[in-house]
Amino acid sequence: MMRYQRADPAALEELVRRISPPLLRYFGGSRASRNDREDLLQDCWIRIHRSRHTYRASEPLMPWIYAIARHTRLDAYRKRRRLESREVLVASVPEGLHQTVPELPRGQDDFDQLVASLPETQREVLVMLKVSGMSLEEVAFATSSTVGAVKQKAHRAYTALRRALGKDREHAR
Amino acid sequence: MQDNPRDAHLERQLEVWAASHPDTGLSPALRQKVHGVLASSLTPVKPLPSQSRLILAFLAVFVACAAGLIAVMDKAGFHLMTGAQMGWMAAILAGGGVLFSISLAGQMVPGSRRALPFSVVLVLSGVAVIAGIALLFPWRASSDFISEGRPCAVMELMIAIPAAAIFWLLARRGALVASAGLGAALTGLTAFLALTPLQTQCMFQQAPHLLVWHGATAAILIGLGALIGDCLGRFGPRLR
Repeated sequence: MMRYQRADPAALEELVRRISPPLLRYFGGSRASRNDREDLLQDCWIRIHRSRHTYRASEPLMPWIYAIARHTRLDAYRKRRRLESREVLVASVPEGLHQTVPELPRGQDDFDQLVASLPETQREVLVMLKVSGMSLEEVAFATSSTVGAVKQKAHRAYTALRRALGKDREHAR
Repeated sequence: MQDNPRDAHLERQLEVWAASHPDTGLSPALRQKVHGVLASSLTPVKPLPSQSRLILAFLAVFVACAAGLIAVMDKAGFHLMTGAQMGWMAAILAGGGVLFSISLAGQMVPGSRRALPFSVVLVLSGVAVIAGIALLFPWRASSDFISEGRPCAVMELMIAIPAAAIFWLLARRGALVASAGLGAALTGLTAFLALTPLQTQCMFQQAPHLLVWHGATAAILIGLGALIGDCLGRFGPRLR
């Protein structure tokens, strides 16, 4: 990263090669289509590039990267919400739009919907902990909060999922 | 967590859910595209100074501006306050300046360690100002409450607006991602800066006057800062 700050093209190439796959995986946490994920990745890299001077060698790199990725995702989410609020419903969905989200097995699809129904802050913590494999401290850095707050959000998410799964099982009986 | 069969089931579901997220590698075309865009504007950059140096820079501006304004403005309030009132108010206003400086410096760097959440900074500084004024100053209000107070509010705004521009010049080098919080932190710092010379200048050292015309104006400034920051974050230019 320091070589990148000194404008070393090889360092830039190495960073793009190594950091993009975990970022794509993180952007996939919101069940975005491949095109959406790639757009988010490009936007995120432009932001990383513009704010590369704010990285300090004494701080861990990945929370810095994920903090920028998080804002990229939030901005895209807000933009999508704004566009959706202006959309006019049409009678039929244009062909080709059905295939954007990968199909999951039935049971997992239900669980995916349960996770999607969690509040954004809780879902985000789950994605960072489980999908991106970050530690509690890294999530706290990336979300500009404390380890205690991250633990609390994760706990609430677990409680909500546990309750929902319990209800599902009772319905199944 | 695994002791409970329901938790074990949840853990299994979460593992499957995490594994279901696509882990496709980066396509060479996309890598080339990203690299091409960034390489065209790749120039050496100077990293931001350390967090402590940023905080010191904000505090230096805060102290220099406050001292300069106290020196040039009328000192009626200074002569009216008791030693205890002066000491406590100086400590509260300086403490607010320190807290907002720490918060502002923290918001300039994405993913930086936050010693204190911004909400805590806001509550602590607000409670300190309200409690300080309510306990230290007499509860009397004159009949000309509005006409006496309006010039104080106008003066506070006249100090705060250029001060906000100065702090913005210092803060704009950061990657300003949390816009509502950043706006509130910036105007919070300027509000505390404006309150300092106003406290020594004002000749109406009574709790109702100080709470409404000094304190409430500061609260409105902070709210406006948060609102402007949020609007810029939503509709304005994206992260620098």
